[in-house]
Amino acid sequence: MWLEVYRSPGIGAMPIAHKHSPTGNQCVAGRLVKPAGVESNTAVNILTILLLLVVCSAPVRAGATLDRVKHSGIVNDVLFNSYPPFSFIDADNQLAGFDVDVARAFAARLGVALKLATPGWETIVSGRWQGRWDICICSMSPTDERAKVLSFPVRYYSSPAVLTVHQNETYIKSIADISGKRVGVGVGSSYENYLNKALVIPGVAPPAYPFHDVIAIPGDETVNFRNLALGPGVRLDAIVSDLATARASIAALHTLKIVGPVLYAEPNVVVTEKGDPEWDLTVSRTFDAMRADGTLAGISKKWFGQDITLDGH
Amino acid sequence: MAIEAPHGASAHELAAAPTGERDPPRRYFREKVWLTWAVLVVLLCGGCYELHLDFTYVALKLPFLLGIRLSPDGFIQGAVLTVFVTGVSMFFALSVALLTALGRLSKNPLAFAVATFYASLFRGTPLMVQVLIIYLALPQIGIVLGALSSGLIALSLNYGAYLAETIRSGIMAVPAGQREAAMALGLPRWVIAWKVTGPQALRLIIPPAGALFVSMLKDSSLVSLMGLWELNFLAQSYARSTYRYMEMLIAAALIYWLLSIVFELIQFRLERRFGRGVAALGRP
Repeated sequence: MWLEVYRSPGIGAMPIAHKHSPTGNQCVAGRLVKPAGVESNTAVNILTILLLLVVCSAPVRAGATLDRVKHSGIVNDVLFNSYPPFSFIDADNQLAGFDVDVARAFAARLGVALKLATPGWETIVSGRWQGRWDICICSMSPTDERAKVLSFPVRYYSSPAVLTVHQNETYIKSIADISGKRVGVGVGSSYENYLNKALVIPGVAPPAYPFHDVIAIPGDETVNFRNLALGPGVRLDAIVSDLATARASIAALHTLKIVGPVLYAEPNVVVTEKGDPEWDLTVSRTFDAMRADGTLAGISKKWFGQDITLDGH
Repeated sequence: MAIEAPHGASAHELAAAPTGERDPPRRYFREKVWLTWAVLVVLLCGGCYELHLDFTYVALKLPFLLGIRLSPDGFIQGAVLTVFVTGVSMFFALSVALLTALGRLSKNPLAFAVATFYASLFRGTPLMVQVLIIYLALPQIGIVLGALSSGLIALSLNYGAYLAETIRSGIMAVPAGQREAAMALGLPRWVIAWKVTGPQALRLIIPPAGALFVSMLKDSSLVSLMGLWELNFLAQSYARSTYRYMEMLIAAALIYWLLSIVFELIQFRLERRFGRGVAALGRP
């Protein structure tokens, strides 16, 4: 299947390739620095050369995603460095987790090498990757806002959102009790949108919002769980998160519990940069194949003891 | 060389160094300092002990934090990457700062304007914002920089702006008489800069510049925003993935501190080297 796609290189690729050519960069950098000074010409020249050196030594990747992956033989995947059990740095200093294993299987299926990068989450979700990365198998929920800057070729698992509180919490028994409370969410996460009553997942009916005036506390999710474990209301009253990460945190911290029914089912998608439909097709077909032959189910059972990839499609 | 006047008024002014003869003798000063340090270190260790840290976990992660091993994709990581980023940025910051300082001292309005504009812009905006702008905004005009290049540029430009002020003040603090005397002796311009003004300015520049570089060492952790596996990034990743915050944060803090001490020692050496002339004048 991979070869089949190879035979038809992306048509939309060419204009992008020209736009980001290395020569273009030199011009821009030169122009930026040029207007400085008559007397200090030498100084300015040195500065220009220094800047150019730095600019040109940087990897400049051009062209559409599929072409790039095809030519380099490498697929650049971005994910989160601390989102256990989906992606984290393990005892051997290697990135590990469900997302990492899925990425490995994906790259193996394409017959290319896998390269992982772990930039800040905001960097990933803000889109405009400019060819830095090819794919993000990173437990992202397909919200409306993200769809403006990113493309979601395929769903790969579904895990519900849940409400977690401290085990000594007596007041909050379900999501209806969080009005006016301090609720932790991952920064830039779909759960933040949910608390702000602004979650729109394309193709999914909007969830109910039986609460008002919630104080959303965005932060690193694992730090939030740690804060919640300090006691009910010490720093946080509750956390809205994915069921799998909540379970992992409860197993590690022992003092937390999930309350109430699941809040809403949340699909998680594979993410690509906008503008390369052929790459998106390759990605979705590869994932379909991995689902069909049980590869995804196997990885899911390894990490969660159950198959969360079933209703992903 | 400092050019001394025949009845060296300036030399006597400079001679009022802390080691001057009028000071009362400091008995066992050094011993008392070491003793105080020892007490403070013991107190700090006692405080850390109270946190009930799991030191076996720290030992397990130490090779990675120190960067003795490479990252999964074969790049340097941990403290080694931190030192690398700081060292390279230091070099570029020094180059940029020197140019900017000269621009600020220049009589050319354009050079002066560019230098002041740059210094104002980069001193007046947060480093974190600069890092993200260079990493995220430049691609929109066609310059796609790698994470490492972006970090190096942001750190160099930011600290270059601060350092420029330090260098400028150092140069300006050298008495004008020194340059005038050198000119009267008929020394060429580059000799005056290299042998008269430069060394005397350096003596004044080194202490604040050293402080800036120590600060830069710690600010280099901002490049973790772009996914570089430097010391702070690793410490936080391990901490979050395993819920062992205190162990990892304290280990990282200690490594940063040790690195800073190395920087301070280098600064001390340089200070002594360039303070030789003044120290010699200070003796009776």
